Amino acid sequence: MTVLGRWLLAQLGRAGLAAWAVTSFVFILSRLDATKPVDLLLGEPDAQRTTLAAGASAARRLAVEQRLGLAEPLFYVSRAQQAGVVSWQWHGLHNQYHHWLVGLAHGHLGLSFRDGQPIGPRWRAALAYTLPLAGLATLGAVAGSLCLGLALAGGPQSRGWRAGLHLLLTGLQGLPLFAVALGLLFAFANPDVLNILPAYADAATAEEAWPQQALRLVLPVAALVLAVLPELALLLASILSQELSADYATTARAKGLTTNQVLIRHALPNALLPLLTAWAGLLPTLVAGAVVVETIFALPGTGRLLAEAVAAHDYPVVVAGVLFTALARLLALALADVLYAWADPRIRLTP
Amino acid sequence: MSQPTRRTTTASRWLATGWLLLLVSGSLLAPWLPLPFLPAVPDLAHLAEAPAWGSAPTHWLGTDPQGRDVLTELLYGARQVVSITLPAAALATLVGALAGGAAGFWGNGGLRLPWAGWLTGAAAVWWGLALPGRGVVAPGLLGLAGLAWWVGRRPGAQPSGWAVPLDGLFQGALTLLGAVPRLVLVLVFAAGPALGATQVMGLLVLVAWPEPARQVRTQMLRVRELPFVDAARAGGLAPARVWYRHALPHACRPLLATAPLSLAGLIGLENTLAFLGVGRSPDVPSWGNLLGTLQQEPGAWWILASAGGALVLTLIALQQLAQQAVKRN
Repeated sequence: MTVLGRWLLAQLGRAGLAAWAVTSFVFILSRLDATKPVDLLLGEPDAQRTTLAAGASAARRLAVEQRLGLAEPLFYVSRAQQAGVVSWQWHGLHNQYHHWLVGLAHGHLGLSFRDGQPIGPRWRAALAYTLPLAGLATLGAVAGSLCLGLALAGGPQSRGWRAGLHLLLTGLQGLPLFAVALGLLFAFANPDVLNILPAYADAATAEEAWPQQALRLVLPVAALVLAVLPELALLLASILSQELSADYATTARAKGLTTNQVLIRHALPNALLPLLTAWAGLLPTLVAGAVVVETIFALPGTGRLLAEAVAAHDYPVVVAGVLFTALARLLALALADVLYAWADPRIRLTP
Repeated sequence: MSQPTRRTTTASRWLATGWLLLLVSGSLLAPWLPLPFLPAVPDLAHLAEAPAWGSAPTHWLGTDPQGRDVLTELLYGARQVVSITLPAAALATLVGALAGGAAGFWGNGGLRLPWAGWLTGAAAVWWGLALPGRGVVAPGLLGLAGLAWWVGRRPGAQPSGWAVPLDGLFQGALTLLGAVPRLVLVLVFAAGPALGATQVMGLLVLVAWPEPARQVRTQMLRVRELPFVDAARAGGLAPARVWYRHALPHACRPLLATAPLSLAGLIGLENTLAFLGVGRSPDVPSWGNLLGTLQQEPGAWWILASAGGALVLTLIALQQLAQQAVKRN
């Protein structure tokens, strides 16, 4: 294995470790106060709880705690402070964190605090909406950035339509996704302006024909693409114009090749490596962007699931969301490694 | 550069600075401006009304679906930006500059702590956490530290110790914070009860410091090899002084261009949170909150135009400033 290949694997290992650490941290943070989730499930706000008959309520609380696994200690060790004396206690393997880890290894994400139902099927159903959304947006962003980057690098960027495009992309680059999505919603799905595209997917029914369902994805995908496209296109344009001033590009032009031939045959392959890193960063960005886009366009995907879980303090769903996002980043990194090896023959992952 | 482009550059710089100054002064003076309505107080007779400039008292920019005056909410929303996001961006830049600068300057082996220091630290941690047997272990460690100090003080002793892996710690923190996108990270921390102003600021600093830190570290790796740093070292200055007075000011130069961008990113993030209705209590006025009411009233063009316009203008103005700084560098 080459040095670069080892470096890539080490990067992957570090990212995996970070994903585990962050998810564990969020898990423990969310379980520190065990009374909150039970309150949530019993539907009793704090003020009401004090006035309820204590006996019946306590029994119900205990039952709920046991079902959610909240009656056990949180971690392997715990630190208790009683009358100024601090003591550490070892709990062994019967703790919430260990059970959660073992469950994860078996593919169980846990139970929702909201309704006590398993989370896994809900995430799978939501993924069926988010995966096409993120996949289409990735395709659109990659294709769009290639076209726009090549177009921008094809001539002087200070005059003509290229200057306009450059200005537009720079302006768009600074905008947050929700502003872009709101603008699109207002312009294309508004009875007062232009009502040519359907905006809300909640109205969709299962027996609706697929062209209708595809139409509903147009605006969300466009919003995601517009949010990530400017950065990628401007990056590619700046790398390409650097490459064009290199000696080999001058030689290629001296051979009599046209600008387009020099760009695509000679400069683009060299510009690809830094671009691959940027493309690999797309997946986590799109997963985070799905939170905003799915809320605005009312798509029942993972982003909206996460946003609703956050609003409802449904921590197991939030922890699952963090895990999912971290895994998306891990997947993107692995994909980038493979693409690196494909694009640059000097890197070989297998000996 | 030809004449007309220079003129447009100057004009755009003045426009950007002018808009930002207007925003800051308007937000600071908001409590004393003759506004006919108070923030977060609904005018139930006028719900989601377009601007109508005939009647008195006038809703100059209309009202939102809860009957709040859009102009008042805009100004008080700008107050939020000036009082929370701006300090958060400044603090994040400062923290990032110090952390990245230290990691770049000393690396993994540059900062040596003598054995006595390590042992005293271990004793303090053992005692502070009240780990088992602290009555025996902590004094024992302290005794060892004293021994090490005495050995190191003897004439002719070699300076010995263990290096603090500053760069490793720094990279680890960056990897940890980069494991999930920052919108998801902020959402997770905001999942609890509504946050106060200080907590929001702390959260924004937490997610924003890695960016400037990475830049300062990269620049510092270059700066520390320059002759003037060597000269300062050879002149007998303490390493901390060389770092702070000589190397750090040079390593922080790229921050001039990226600080406005980092502020713009934080403004976008904070308004996204307010738009999603997460974190702050919904009574706190903000542009994102105002834009969020569009989901109940999709035809309210006056809200989109005013709040969206203010947000977009601010972000583009900050971007302009950043570009000017890049050109001047």
